[in-house]
Amino acid sequence: MRVAADHPSQAPVAVADVRAVVAAARGRHRRRHILIVVAALAVAVALALAALSFGAAAVTPDRVLAVLFGGGERLDRFVVLELRVPRILAALLVGAGFALAGAVFQSTLRNPLASPDILGIAQGASLGAVWAILGLGAGGAVVAGFAFGGALVVALVIWLAAWRQGLHGIRFVLVGVGMSYVCGSTVAWLLARSDVRQAQTALHWTVGSVADVRGPELAVLAIGVAVGAAAIAVMSRVLPALALGDDHAAGLGVRTDVARLALLVLAVAVVAVATSVAGPIAFVALIAPAVARRLVGGGDAALAASTCVGAVLVLGADVAGQFALPGFTAPVGIVTGVIGAPYLLWLLARTERTSRA
Amino acid sequence: MSSSQPAEPSARAGSAEAAATRPAAATQPASAAQPASAAQPASAAQSASAAAARSASEGRPSRRVSGTNAWRRIAVLAVCAVALLAAVAASLALGVRGMDPSAVWQALLAPDLTDPDQAVVLQLRVPRTVIGIAAGLALGLAGTVIQGVTRNPIADPGLLGVNSGASLAVVLSISFLGITSPLGYIWFAFAGAAGAAVLVFAIGGAQPVRLALVGAALTALLTPLIALVLLRDTEAFNQYRFWAVGSLTGRDLSTVAILWPFLLVGVVLAASLAHRLNLLALGDDVASALGQRVGATRALAGASIVLLCGTATALAGPIALVGLVVPHAARRLVGSDYRWITAAAILLGPVMLLAADVIGRLVVPNSELEAGVVAAFLGAPVLIAIARSRRVAGL
Repeated sequence: MRVAADHPSQAPVAVADVRAVVAAARGRHRRRHILIVVAALAVAVALALAALSFGAAAVTPDRVLAVLFGGGERLDRFVVLELRVPRILAALLVGAGFALAGAVFQSTLRNPLASPDILGIAQGASLGAVWAILGLGAGGAVVAGFAFGGALVVALVIWLAAWRQGLHGIRFVLVGVGMSYVCGSTVAWLLARSDVRQAQTALHWTVGSVADVRGPELAVLAIGVAVGAAAIAVMSRVLPALALGDDHAAGLGVRTDVARLALLVLAVAVVAVATSVAGPIAFVALIAPAVARRLVGGGDAALAASTCVGAVLVLGADVAGQFALPGFTAPVGIVTGVIGAPYLLWLLARTERTSRA
Repeated sequence: MSSSQPAEPSARAGSAEAAATRPAAATQPASAAQPASAAQPASAAQSASAAAARSASEGRPSRRVSGTNAWRRIAVLAVCAVALLAAVAASLALGVRGMDPSAVWQALLAPDLTDPDQAVVLQLRVPRTVIGIAAGLALGLAGTVIQGVTRNPIADPGLLGVNSGASLAVVLSISFLGITSPLGYIWFAFAGAAGAAVLVFAIGGAQPVRLALVGAALTALLTPLIALVLLRDTEAFNQYRFWAVGSLTGRDLSTVAILWPFLLVGVVLAASLAHRLNLLALGDDVASALGQRVGATRALAGASIVLLCGTATALAGPIALVGLVVPHAARRLVGSDYRWITAAAILLGPVMLLAADVIGRLVVPNSELEAGVVAAFLGAPVLIAIARSRRVAGL
């Protein structure tokens, strides 16, 4: 596709030349992808170092480095290792998970709007968590467990309802939208009939925050995202074929329904883990893949770049949320929405062309 | 055309196959009258093209087909009208307070406010019924126009950012101006909804996919801002959460008395656009080639959406799924001609919202579920049934 676009009017050439041109184009594209990934990782490291130093108790960079290499004072060690490192890791992992899942959703369903927010999974997790907080008065791991359960139950319902001789994009999206409205309405109703302080706690959860992620939850998050990402990486080679449409993909020997199902199951699992730990952080799954595709170019799913961009986005948002408003630490979900949405709006206002974004 | 749709409909649901295997589809003039163009993947777009071709050309066979269909559609509309009457009657007669139907009749014919039953009917049930009719009508019609103009089957007022715009305006009015009554919210809700719609249309402009993306982006921008205010201001949250559920209660007829001109203009605009939407369903290029000024259509549609969504949200708060489900249901019942879809949506919107309200009164003993919650639970199965049907496709 890209080759044809680059050389639209060339005279017929020898097969070997064509191969060379294709290989060169692919190489350029791959190098660009790798460059984006490396750049994103570099930004992530820089942000992480900044996040380790700044905060209510400032720790200078040299003391941070001392702590990281095993030294440092006791207070510094506590602040850096017990408070800040888990939060940074959680932000990176959650961002990576959301973005990867969003990229998979969007490329598999061929819909740039497809994201956990729109597909009802985030709302399912919210419903589970809000139910646990307001209905059962629970906290901590119980809430995370209910959120995970809620996400999976809603995902399952969407699947069962949307499945009919296979899984087709538009059907899936319609059912997902319906379920997300059901969950959203129920959450609104639960919030309206509970004690206002508790309801506010629940509202805080539904915004999404990585501030309180600690040891065991962090371990679950890390394992879930890593395993999911590895499996998606293995499966992702069918994505270019799926992007051509079901019929072409089938013609190329891809079992489209099986491939799509496997990818979506993995993406849902990753999103459910990330959401249960951090809440449904708005917009990351929608914006990070869009940004990554734009950076990488070439119309492919850009999974690796999406993952890295998502990690950077959430970490950056979390850092910004701690300092943007004096006296109020904004949950990361607020910041991702406030910085992410205008970017998308600007992008939309600027581009005249909308293919599959 | 397929590239301008956010998700390509299934190629399997080709209309020839649908016509062959599904008796109901055979009543569609589109699939019956257009056997040859099976190469087009989108069966509904194809139906629309056939419908428009039919209305454009006056060939005899197609006219005969449309004649039999017109009767069927009129019958469907009559059933919808009966359903609306039944919903109105149920909304007046049923509720937490059980009463004799004759008391309801008495209250309407010869009101006697000293009778507690009649007072309930006149002061509580009549207002919520009227508000339900107005808001349901506005939502159903707004959804129809949005789906028609964006050619996006998942487009609805919520997705265009209208609800979040209204929500933000209400939250700000509570938090910073200290307004605490639903009557006080209506202008803020209206302004917020209208502002969001205008913004979405201004940025989204001409392109269907972009419109939906801009709406989603705006929602994603406003939702955290709302949460930010609510997390810092417990009192505002306490007020807002009751509005945010979406309900027909707690408002009186004065809200309708204030807002009806907006509703009327919106309805007239939407109804007059129906034929233009038929052509627009063929794609911008074809529509303009057929002599339509696509930009003007979009502008008018945008104006009607702004008015309708603003009215609905100001009346009842953010109500989910009515605007999404009603057009789909109407399309299933009367086919792909927007003139008929509009007529059906005008009847079905109030039916759905009133039914949700009545069910909400009856389902919990001695208490009520808000109409917004019930509407979501009513709408989701309908939406799922529509999504599962063979003919689900782009518009």
